[in-house]
Order: sequence, then C-alpha cells, then structure tokens
Amino acid sequence: MRSARKRTVAAASVAVLALTLTAACSSNDDATSEPTATESGIPAAQSVGAMKDFAAGTDFVATEPVTFSVLYRDHPNYPLNQDWLFLSQLKDTNKVSFDLTSAPLSDWDAKKSLIISAGDAPELIPVTYPGQETQFVSGGTLLPISDYVQYMPNFQQKVKDWDLQPYIDNLKQADGKYYMLPGLYQSPQPQYSIAIRQDAWEKAGIKEDPKTWDDLKDDLATLKAANPGVWPMSDRWSTTNNNPLGATLQLAAPNFGTVAGWGFGNGLWYDQDSKKFEYAASTDGYKDLVSYFASLVKDGLLDPESVTQDDDTAKAKFGSGQSLAISGNTQEITSYAKTFTDAGNTEAKVHLIRVPEGPAGDNVASGSRVASGFMISAKAAEQPNFLALLQFADWLYYSDSGLEYAKYGVEGTTFTKDGDTRALAADVDWNGVNPTGTKKLNADFGFSNGVWMLANGSSDELIQGLNTPATNDFVTAMADKEELPLTPSAPLDEMQQEQITLWQAALNDSVTQNTAAFILGQRPMSEWDAWQTELKGLNVDQYVDTFNQALAAK
Amino acid sequence: MVTTDLPNQPTPDVIPSGRTGRPDKGTRVKDSRGYRSFRLVNGALLIVLAALVLYPFVNIVAQAFSSESYITTGQVNLVPRGFNLITFQVVLGDDMFWRNYRNTVEYTVVATAIAMALTTTYAYALSKAHLKGRKFFIGIAVATMFFNGGLIPNYILISHLGFRNTLWAIVLPNAISVFNLLVMKSFFENFPSELEEAASIDGMSTYGVFFKVVLPLSKAVVATMLLFYAVSFWNGWFGAFLYMDDPNLYPVTVYLRNLMAGVSGGTSIQGGGTDNLTQIGANVQAVTMLLTVLPIICLYPFIQRYFVSGVMLGAVKQ
Repeated sequence: MRSARKRTVAAASVAVLALTLTAACSSNDDATSEPTATESGIPAAQSVGAMKDFAAGTDFVATEPVTFSVLYRDHPNYPLNQDWLFLSQLKDTNKVSFDLTSAPLSDWDAKKSLIISAGDAPELIPVTYPGQETQFVSGGTLLPISDYVQYMPNFQQKVKDWDLQPYIDNLKQADGKYYMLPGLYQSPQPQYSIAIRQDAWEKAGIKEDPKTWDDLKDDLATLKAANPGVWPMSDRWSTTNNNPLGATLQLAAPNFGTVAGWGFGNGLWYDQDSKKFEYAASTDGYKDLVSYFASLVKDGLLDPESVTQDDDTAKAKFGSGQSLAISGNTQEITSYAKTFTDAGNTEAKVHLIRVPEGPAGDNVASGSRVASGFMISAKAAEQPNFLALLQFADWLYYSDSGLEYAKYGVEGTTFTKDGDTRALAADVDWNGVNPTGTKKLNADFGFSNGVWMLANGSSDELIQGLNTPATNDFVTAMADKEELPLTPSAPLDEMQQEQITLWQAALNDSVTQNTAAFILGQRPMSEWDAWQTELKGLNVDQYVDTFNQALAAK
Repeated sequence: MVTTDLPNQPTPDVIPSGRTGRPDKGTRVKDSRGYRSFRLVNGALLIVLAALVLYPFVNIVAQAFSSESYITTGQVNLVPRGFNLITFQVVLGDDMFWRNYRNTVEYTVVATAIAMALTTTYAYALSKAHLKGRKFFIGIAVATMFFNGGLIPNYILISHLGFRNTLWAIVLPNAISVFNLLVMKSFFENFPSELEEAASIDGMSTYGVFFKVVLPLSKAVVATMLLFYAVSFWNGWFGAFLYMDDPNLYPVTVYLRNLMAGVSGGTSIQGGGTDNLTQIGANVQAVTMLLTVLPIICLYPFIQRYFVSGVMLGAVKQ
C-alpha cells in the first residue's frame, strides 16, 4: 500500500539524486596560465623572503620565515618525524619550513607521476632521475629550470669546477630547455661488480683479481676443477625489471663497447667515428658480450638458473657455499658477509673485484657523474617565495656547506670535524660505520636523507667520509678506468616520442628474450644474424633513424 | 502363555540417537565395496591436495619465526629454525604500525558497513520486476564494470570533492562492487515472493519487509558478501596510497608494503640501515603476510556457520 506521502518522498529523493549528478558537472575553470619563461627578472611579488646578495659560498638565510611545499619520499628505514633536528635547525637558523606531502617509497614513482599529471604537484619534487622528467614536459606542469639557473650560483660553480656542462646540456629537451636539476658527482662512484668468495679463490691458487674478462673465465674454470659439484658463479638481479642478468650485463657492457642489461635504456649506441646512433643490440660489442656469457654457461661456469632465479635463491646458493661468485654492490657485500658470520662461517671472505677490462678497453659507462635530483613545478613561479625557493635549493643541494649539512648534520651534535676529516659523533651511527653509536643519523636526526641530500654528498671528500673502507677501496681501484665519452642526447618531439614508444616495447622484449636465449644456449650463436633480421622486421632501422634525425636537427 | 525372552534380546552397541542424523550403525545399509574403495582413493587424493595447498602457508609461517641464516641458505621447510622474534619485535614495536592498524580496522568497518548497506538496498530494489526504469539502473551499474574514467581523472575528481586525506576517499569510490550487486540481485529474485506477500498482507511496510523478512532469511548471501567486502577493504592499499598524504593516515597494508620495499631495496645506499637489517630483510615478507592474514583467519570461523544452506527450506509450503 503506497501512501501518497511515500510517493512524494520517493519523487523528492529522485530529484535530489538527479541534482547531485548535475552538480558534478560544475564548470570549474582551473586553467592556470604558464609563467612566461622568457622574463629574465623575477618580480618583487615572487621574491618574498629571498636574500638580496646570495652568492656561491653564502649560507641561505631567508629574510623572513618561508614555507615550501615538498613532495616527500617516506623511506621506511627513516620514517618521517616532524621532530627531526634537520627540520628544527632549518627553521631556527635558516627560517625555512616545509609543507610535506608524503608518498611511500614503495610506490614513489607512481604517486609522483600521478600527482604531477593531475596538476597538484607541490613546489619542490625531489628524488627524480635524469630522464624521468621527459614525460611531463609537454603537459606544461614543470618549470623550465634552465631559464632560472642564473639565480643558482652554487650550481653553476659546481658545474664549472667539475666540468659537467656537457652532462647538463644533455638534459635539454626538444625546446632547448631542461626541466630538472641532477645531483652532481665530482668523480664517478661505481657501485656494482662481481662479488667473490676470496677464501675459495685463494685456496684454488688465484692470488689476484682477474684483469680481463677472459682472465675471469680462466679463474672460474680453475675454481670448477678445484670444487666439483659447486657452481663457480650463480648470478642474481635477473628478475628485477624482467631483465635477465641485468646488473652483470650492465657493468660488463662498457668494456665490450656497448650497453646492455639495466643500462640498455633506449638501446642506442653512439658511434664516435660516424657520429651517428646505432642499435646497441646490433653492434659487434653486444655480440661479443653475449658470446662471452654464452661460453660461460656452455663450459658449466655460470649456473643457467642465474637467468631466471630470484634474488633470494641466488643469495641462498652463495650463502650456503653452493656458488662461489655472484654479482653485488658496495652495500650488498656487507649483507653477504653477514650471512656467513651468522651461519658461523668465519673462514669465508667476500670481496668485490675490480670490474675486468674487455675487448673494447678498460671502461666505465658514460654519464655516471649525474645522479637523481629534483624538479620544480610550474606553479611555483607564481608563489611569493619563488626566488627564495631557488636560492634555498641551490644552497642545500649544491653548496659545500649545504651538502655538508644535509649529509652530516650539525657540527658538534652529529659529527665532529678535524681539519678536513669528518667523523660521526660518538653516539651516532649510520649504516654500521660507527657500531658503538646508539642513535641513527637518518632515523633519529633526519640527515643523510635521500630527499634532502643529492648524490651522497657530491664531492669526493664528503662521500668518502661515510663510506666503508671496502667501498673506498673499490672506488679507488675503479678510479683509473676510462669513462666512455658522453652520448649526446637526441630530444624528440611529441610525434616522434609516441612513435618511438610504440616500437620500443617490441624491440626491448625481443632483445631481452633473445639475449637470455643466446646466453642459455637455447639459441645457438650461429642464429645471431637471423635474429638481426627479426629485429629489422620490428622496425629497428626506422627506430634508430628517428633518433638520428632528431640528433641532426639539434 | 507366550513369553518374550527380554533379557536375551541383543543389546545394541550404540545408543540410537537422532543427533547424528544418520541411521545407527547396526541398522545402516552397508556401503558397497566399490563405494568404499572410492572413498579411500578420494580421501587420499584430497589429503594430498590439502597438503599441497597448506605447505606454502606453513612454510611462510615457519619463515616468519626463523633466523635469517637458515632462510638465506634455504633450510627452512615446515618448522621454524633458529626461532626468533626479531622482525616481529621491530614491526610490532613501531608506534606507526599500531596507528596504521587502527586505521585499517576503522576503514574496513566503515567501508564494509556502507558497502553492505548500499549493495543490499540497491540489489533488492533491482530485484523487483515492477521497478520503473529497472533496465536503466542495471545498465548504469554494469557500465561501470566495463568503462572507467582512468587513474588521473579519478584522482582529480576525488581531490576536488575534498576527500583527500579523509576516510571517504577510500570508502566511497569502491562502495558498490557490481559483481556482488548482481549476485545479490539474482538471489533476491529467487527469494520466494509468497513470504513477502504474506508479510505485507499483514500490514508491513516495504522497509519492514526488507529488514524483518528478507534480510534475516538471506543470511547466507549477506554473510558471503560481507566477507568479500571485508577482505577486499582489509587488503586494499591502492586507494590509501593515492589519496593519503600523511603517513599517519595510511592503513597497515601501505606501511607493510613500504617496509618490504625499503628492505629489499639493497641498492639504496641512502637507506642507511636499521639494526638487524639482514634479519628483517630475510623474513619481513613472511611476517607481513602473517600479520595481515591473521585477523581474517580469526574472523572466518564465525562467519562460516552462516554459509549453511537450507536455512530457508521448509519455510514455505509449496
């Protein structure tokens, strides 16, 4: 029995529902006008809080308290703590505070990308690797920072002193401007190499690190003869990013004259003689590299499961003595060593060898002197604190005192300085460097935080201060390697970028799968040319031509 | 005179009772041989299957309590070796973990309540053939299964509605699962209309019929949907990660996910390292899984009895 009253109530609720639907279609004009990047002076309205005479070497102190909005990456090893000395010191001494939008480390790139694309980005966006800014350029949400580096004297001085201008030029997009500022390294800081069981190697009669990759092969063969039933090498980092032997191929490739593995990138190899791009997987260097690893598998020196097993399995094999070499980095060797001491094995010694030289020379990859840096959102140029933001970022990320502050903290509280030597305060530890310390430099004080510190301190002096001796040894051993010449960038326009993206997926898949197949012996090396023909069928020639055209048009 | 030899009657071994519902042993029809061997083989097969399914779970539980040296050398199978609680202590000793756990409970309870309310009412309305515009309303629901605004438009919508950093960003966008809706709708369609008619003849309003007749007799489907929604909200991390900008508002799933990312990073030199980093690294995934699954496992037995079918049989004499 429907009463008339109930019917009117029902009709009214339908009307309300319909109304809410239309309310969602409100016209909200959110279009922001992009700041005209050609103006050379920053108007007074955007210079609130900025220093009048900010120069290289001056500490940044705002003329009045300023607040910057920052996209903060929350790392679980040092969860965000508003009471950090880092934050309070900046507030008291430099009059700078932050409005933090937090995103977890686990999905940092996804959230960063989303928030920028939605137009909601905070002013400062840190932890951005060179190349990651390209996707946002056409949307107009990023500030073309090249127009404003004149206000960043510390950055300019570092670039000049350390000869980094070619690297910065490489960041230019199709419109001739660059949209991010990277972390800078005074010298390359290599991290990855092969970690070996030095005790097992010495027992087999091998006294020193292999000089060439062929020497390494001989050493592995010696090990195999001395230790039957054990894999001389069983590798890891094949499941990260679906890139089999990603780390090993990357670190070996420069010595063979190519790029591979994690370093494959867009697959281009720049020929210095012809001044043109080639497809890396078609070069002789790549063929030599793949043949080398295929021969390792064929001779039973490299565990074929290396190509597919996950990291835990590979580490388990190394830790239980079922393999005697694995790829590693300066941080992982500490954890490998700990596995052995925990298991009660006091004999085992883990050593990171110097990356051997190859047929193309004794090289490290080019471009290893820029690291992750930061971007500034386009909307920041309209904020009153804009100039102050530029000066602050310049001071914190590029000045000697700013870098020291970000990495080490406050002299007397978190570290002590004796001339040029720095040491952590007695009570403070970072990454096991000061085992007696009870407090953590990052978790308890907020320093050495990847959001505020670029390139681990940038200068050799600052970096070495907190490295383990093993790391410093490794970097010193690698220092005489030759850095390959910088690959010129070939900025693409939107149409080219779209076309490349379509081809790249298929090409990268073919390279990944076939590299693995050749290495495992599933495909004999005699079929190499057949594979090259397959690549042609996937438009590799047009792919490379597009880049060469963009290069010529520069 | 006829006497019955009462004392010499065979005394039954088993007291006949109606409790088991099966005829007592002495009077049961004996299973044929074929059937018995089938039961044997069937039982053996099912035991093997159950073991295969349970093994990974028991392995995870064992890993959660084992020491890293055994885990990294692959020696942990069914029993924890090197029993320690270090990872548990680190995780459970963190205030943020409990704050986020409370958030998860809060989000799950509110979200499930709202979802159930919306889904049951929508499904009930849709199940009535005489609803005007029924096809249209069904069409709206089904269309959302096929078409989606996309990540960025959704983000902009929720952001402009002002739901960022509030509970509603997690609860409202996923409040109705169309799949659950359609299942409930067909359940209500098959609900005997005689019951509802009987109730309304006695003067009950539509709401009364819904709350007092239909819902109590739909315990099976309501319990199932409750479980589905609760589990999906409990495990959900994506909405929270998208719309929450403050770590204090994360549910525990985002916290644990972040913890795993930080530890397995390995290449992050700036990670700095906490104490026991390698121990945590070895079994944080196992601990995470255990802590997330435990409450659901505890909840399940209480809901399971509502899955019993046949609650309604006999209510209506056809």
